[in-house]
Amino acid sequence: MLKQEKISNLLAHVVLLAVLLITIFPLLYTVMASFKTNAEILSNPAAIFPVKPTFQNYIDAWNSDVLDIKRMLFNSTYYTVIIVFATLFSTSAGGYVFARGEFRGKSFWFAAFSLLMFFSMGSVTIYPTLKILNFLHVPKSLPGLMITKIFGVSIVNIYLVRSYVYSLPKGIEEAAEIDGCSFVGIFFRIVLPLLKPIMATIGVLAFQGSWNDYLMPMIYTLGDPKQRPLIVGVIALSKSGESAASYNLVFAGTTLALLPVLIAYCIGNKYFVSGLAAGAVKG
Amino acid sequence: MKIKTNTTSRVRDKKFREKERMCYLLLSPQIIGFLVFSIIPMLWAISLSWTYYDTIKTRFVGWENFLLLFHDSNYWRAVVTTLQFAVMKIPVELPLALILAVLLSRKIKGAGFYRAVYYLPHVISTALVALVFSNIFSFFGVFNALMQKTGLMSIPVDWFAEKMSAMWIIVIADIWKTFGVNVLYFIAALANIPEDVYESARLDGATRLQTFFRITLPMIAPTLQIIIMLSLIGTLGTSEMVLVLTNGAPGGLTYTVNAYIFNNYAPGITNGTVNVGYGCAMSLVTGLMLSVITLGYMKMSSGVKEVY
Repeated sequence: MLKQEKISNLLAHVVLLAVLLITIFPLLYTVMASFKTNAEILSNPAAIFPVKPTFQNYIDAWNSDVLDIKRMLFNSTYYTVIIVFATLFSTSAGGYVFARGEFRGKSFWFAAFSLLMFFSMGSVTIYPTLKILNFLHVPKSLPGLMITKIFGVSIVNIYLVRSYVYSLPKGIEEAAEIDGCSFVGIFFRIVLPLLKPIMATIGVLAFQGSWNDYLMPMIYTLGDPKQRPLIVGVIALSKSGESAASYNLVFAGTTLALLPVLIAYCIGNKYFVSGLAAGAVKG
Repeated sequence: MKIKTNTTSRVRDKKFREKERMCYLLLSPQIIGFLVFSIIPMLWAISLSWTYYDTIKTRFVGWENFLLLFHDSNYWRAVVTTLQFAVMKIPVELPLALILAVLLSRKIKGAGFYRAVYYLPHVISTALVALVFSNIFSFFGVFNALMQKTGLMSIPVDWFAEKMSAMWIIVIADIWKTFGVNVLYFIAALANIPEDVYESARLDGATRLQTFFRITLPMIAPTLQIIIMLSLIGTLGTSEMVLVLTNGAPGGLTYTVNAYIFNNYAPGITNGTVNVGYGCAMSLVTGLMLSVITLGYMKMSSGVKEVY
């Protein structure tokens, strides 16, 4: 019996390990290729580890004309940071209001926001959105896209905050109300500090979502490559005619674009996973 | 909301009004955003479905767009491809995830580490995943080279030259990205099965396979239903993966519906003038079909919940 158990455990490890290797391989290959010269990538594609590891690709990418890494890193960073903070504020306020607020139209707005999950017109809504932005004198640009995201409704995050606020004891808020604290005051002074754990989850998800964003930033920066976030720039380079001559730059750029999320995942793994339900619904 | 109208009502009324104002104040960014950047664009796009619109002039055309769409073989080919994609992906991914979850649910060393690594691809940008896989499976890429080196293939294969092989590459990349999520879902579902059910099965002399099919599977059926639904929604809505990985290659055969619409009607992607109104009609029909499939599946499979 014991021996049988041991064998089946060994078999389990073999299967698990095989899947583990397949999971790691594409990432390992990409990161390793970023330390190879272009000639090595093209002449010996079967090799996974570089013969003579070189940092030259990163130095080249940093000074490159075809891939303006500095600029794109900056674009990705401000795009991500601003959207993360806006999401944190709007979803915490939204979740709090829907959990504790009393106002006419509460269930209407909640249902209306929720309905967005069930029907989508997809990419064609970009036309009207651009017209509206134009009407507000905002050009088609990365900041223009950010405005639509900052004011965007993220209902899944509101759900998360709302159920978290429900789990908080009401007594503290009532005590504050009796002491003369207003509804908004209670939010900022009492509820918001208590929301830290759920805010970490939402912050991590918003960071992941906006750093990884591709299709929308691509559309909004078509007219001006200078505004491209990193991922948009890397994909654009890989699709351009110069890509064969600059495979090494594509790999270095890909690695740089992967790193922030990978590092965040290594540090805050549990926040990514605890937001699983949210991430899955968002697709 | 009912407001009391007794003698203290003036004070209560005032307090309620003030609180209501504050609620709307806190909610105002999202209400504005909801109206200006969600609902209005959506209704606007829907209304364009009955027009000819080339971003400059708009002309009402009645049901013409919908009639044209009915005979548009390119569009329906994309619809079929999308369904094909789901049929190819889900039956591979979910059993794989379930097997891994069952293995990880046993008391096994390093289960947490395996779990963490399996979930890792899910945090990576879809666009980058597509780029990485298009590099790996490119004609001069590492996959062909390794296959030749190990003698499994004599000549390199152009994986993107035929529809089916290109589809499988997309399926593989997509499974690679999302299977970890399903592993975690299944682990959570398995953890909810009480240990004593297994014990009594063991006492009754059930084999491992019997235990799995007679106990484990029925017990996780409700979760399974949700997992299939999420998987279905995710798969049918795919666009980014296809757009970056194959961009339709070969010859537009691998476009899923959303990728097809994006590639033909997203502003700045298409060359020359297109009838955006037609694209809107296409999106409306697609959106409705996806909603119907999702809701229909939810309704159909609700019976699964009463299995045990």
